[in-house]
Amino acid sequence: MNRLNLSLLSALALAFPLSLLAGRVWIDPFHPVLPNAALILAELRLPRACLAVIIGAGLGVAGAVMQGFLRNPLADPGLFGIAPSAALGAVLSLWLGALGHPLGGWALPTFALVGAGGAMALLGLIAGRGGSVALFTLAGMMIASLSGALMSLAISLAPSPFALSEIVTWLMGALVDRGWDDVLIAAPLTALGLAALWMTRPALDALALGELAARSLGVNPRVLTGWIIAGVGLTVGASVAAAGIIGFVGLMVPHFVRPFTDRLPSSLLLPSALAGALLLLVADAVCRLVPLASGELRLGIALSLIGAPFFCALLLRLRRELA
Amino acid sequence: MSAGLTAEGLTVIGRCHDVSTALAAGQLIAICGPNGAGKSSLLAALAGLIAADSGTARLDGAPLASLAARERARTIGYLPQSGEVAWNLEVEALVALGRLPWGGSRRDPAVAGAIAAMELESLRHRPVGTLSGGERARTLLARVLAGAPRWILADEPLASLDLGHAAEVMRLLAAQAAVGRGVVVVVHDLAMAMNHADRVLVLDSGTVVADGPPDVALAEDVLARVWQVEAQWLGAPGARALGLISAATPPAR
Amino acid sequence: MRRRAALLMALALGSCSPAPAPVPVPVPAPVPPAPQRIVSLNPCTDAILAEVAERGQIAALSAYSSQVGQSSMNVALARSLPATAGTLEEVAVLRPDLVLAGAMTAPAERAAYARLGLRREEFASPTTIAASLEQVRRIAALAGHPERGAALVARIEAAVVRATVPPGTRRVDTLVWQSGGMVPGGNTLVSELMNRTGFDNFSARAGLGQAQILPLEPVLAHPPQAILIAGNLAAGENRLLAHPALGRLPATRRFAFDPVLEWCGGPTIIRAADRLAQIRQAL
Repeated sequence: MNRLNLSLLSALALAFPLSLLAGRVWIDPFHPVLPNAALILAELRLPRACLAVIIGAGLGVAGAVMQGFLRNPLADPGLFGIAPSAALGAVLSLWLGALGHPLGGWALPTFALVGAGGAMALLGLIAGRGGSVALFTLAGMMIASLSGALMSLAISLAPSPFALSEIVTWLMGALVDRGWDDVLIAAPLTALGLAALWMTRPALDALALGELAARSLGVNPRVLTGWIIAGVGLTVGASVAAAGIIGFVGLMVPHFVRPFTDRLPSSLLLPSALAGALLLLVADAVCRLVPLASGELRLGIALSLIGAPFFCALLLRLRRELA
Repeated sequence: MSAGLTAEGLTVIGRCHDVSTALAAGQLIAICGPNGAGKSSLLAALAGLIAADSGTARLDGAPLASLAARERARTIGYLPQSGEVAWNLEVEALVALGRLPWGGSRRDPAVAGAIAAMELESLRHRPVGTLSGGERARTLLARVLAGAPRWILADEPLASLDLGHAAEVMRLLAAQAAVGRGVVVVVHDLAMAMNHADRVLVLDSGTVVADGPPDVALAEDVLARVWQVEAQWLGAPGARALGLISAATPPAR
Repeated sequence: MRRRAALLMALALGSCSPAPAPVPVPVPAPVPPAPQRIVSLNPCTDAILAEVAERGQIAALSAYSSQVGQSSMNVALARSLPATAGTLEEVAVLRPDLVLAGAMTAPAERAAYARLGLRREEFASPTTIAASLEQVRRIAALAGHPERGAALVARIEAAVVRATVPPGTRRVDTLVWQSGGMVPGGNTLVSELMNRTGFDNFSARAGLGQAQILPLEPVLAHPPQAILIAGNLAAGENRLLAHPALGRLPATRRFAFDPVLEWCGGPTIIRAADRLAQIRQAL
């Protein structure tokens, strides 16, 4: 397992500088004849790469923790409803801006974080006391469906087709044109979220034996729920605030790394962080490379295109195991 | 102030009612009773996992509720009925989970000790999904042992085990009692209780109706009254079997 | 008296010297040089820029202008100039001193342009002819050729005048049907053109705003006299047009209307006005 982390870390260390060179305008470090190359690197590509690593790590760990907590390999950070609520906050800020109340550059991330915080508080209120997994899941789904409905309402009430297009485009998730301001938002929040999620490791392992056995081993369900809400809320909220809704990472990345670990939920966290960072970094570079007439490829599409073949291979192997 | 696990007027509404008993370490104690008699609830209350609606469960005189979770986890090992394992862990990793209340390390000698005690040496690195029913039951029990608890509370550990494996698990549990641990098991198989337990508690509709050595607590008249079957104990002590006399269906409860 | 007159004469003669003494004149503010590298990111500004700027000033046009179905200008001309997909990195490499873009931009993109110190001028889709002409003048001024802007404005105005019907002409109730059932409402450029050329915009009367999906019921209740189909019929974009209910409106005539004519103002107005006049003649 340590070998796994080492190889992922090396891959990441290799991919990071390479990704900085990649784009529709290839930058050769030894022959920097391109005008504005330094500017492109410093103000566009470097913050993007940092964001990809930060968000990828956050979402990867959030996914691993969710799957460990719900004891379900199909769990995804979106199940908690935090991503849709954060998106709802952001959509509201875009909507208000389109109505003629421009709120300034910090409005969108702030609204998104308020949305995430609201979902976290609601989750804590509904499911925090008992900590039962079923209640948690249902509460999360309710929040997700409510936020989704309100978002659709905001979209249908969009003041103009331009506002509509702006909202829908933002929702699709992208790292394009992000800068150091976005890194400034995402980095500390994700770090706090990762710290919270790190605290859940022993409890997640105990949960493998069931809730009752876990409690007999000293797990406090309320404390665990608190850490998870805080951790997932912060990591997912930060990612939505910076880049819109990015799916796939939280669900898939733990599956990619699990066969190489001892399968204990706690062993998945670090590899998921590294693999998530690597996946998002590569996907973002692909987005820059694909030659579309209308700009860049959407991040969600690149993620699915890259991830699907791996997932297919995984499923084939799973099928053989189960057969 | 008595040492051991005691229940004082323990009531869990709808399950068990005003149960008082004192359990001592060094014994294999079986809790028996028909379905719905409240056995699992009593066991969980004794393990401190469910809060009683009234009454107290005490460990060595101190109320369980007042113990820190970690302290309780280190002292009482609980084996739930479900036996689910969410991920296809290796045997060694699973057994090492029992060390969590102590800081959880796989290299701790207690893990190796538990694996040896449950005779799982050759299966150390096998994924749990490939084990047979008996091996799996022993693995889960080893997990409880790895925590070196003073008390082992097991809820129907023999469920879904064949005769040979069930006997094996009872033997291992009795061995644990022999070295000074307190072992409390909920069993349906009355012959197993009769042959291996030092003491039997019989629950019926939430109250203790018999409490004592097995041949007293599981006497034939108790069986008739509580289980509503006419039966006879056959065989020599220590190797008893239960013979059902009447094949008539017991009246609906 | 004669001496004073002689003195005055001498003064007068003296003041009529052929070379006047140099008087300091305030120097006018230096005119900033016109941008030499202009990048245009959407087909509408492409079309205007191609008319008002010199070829050497254009660093790149949007990739759409080189494509036949998307271009609002001469495709051959567009293909002879560099094209860009509009990502910030590509634009940055071109080192533009001016970027012309549409108003539909993500907030992150605007912020990124500011960070990189690139000058960016936005042009929202014009909703009136006057607004479009104002944009033409603005782009021409930015490019340093206000006279060319004035010339283009004159040509556009002439085309509009040509196509305008005399007051009192019967107005034809008309619906412009875009792909997917969207119709332009009353606050649009095409609506104003229609009004000038003798049409009554059906969707404006039905109370629709800028661009909305039109429900079928008002169409059936008060059928328009003409439907201008701005979309690719063959591509199945106009499923609603094949609705059986619409087949029962025998009095409604249908005409093809190139969708490109609707998307931009500027030079496109000339072609749009001509086409509308042509359709009006047929009615």
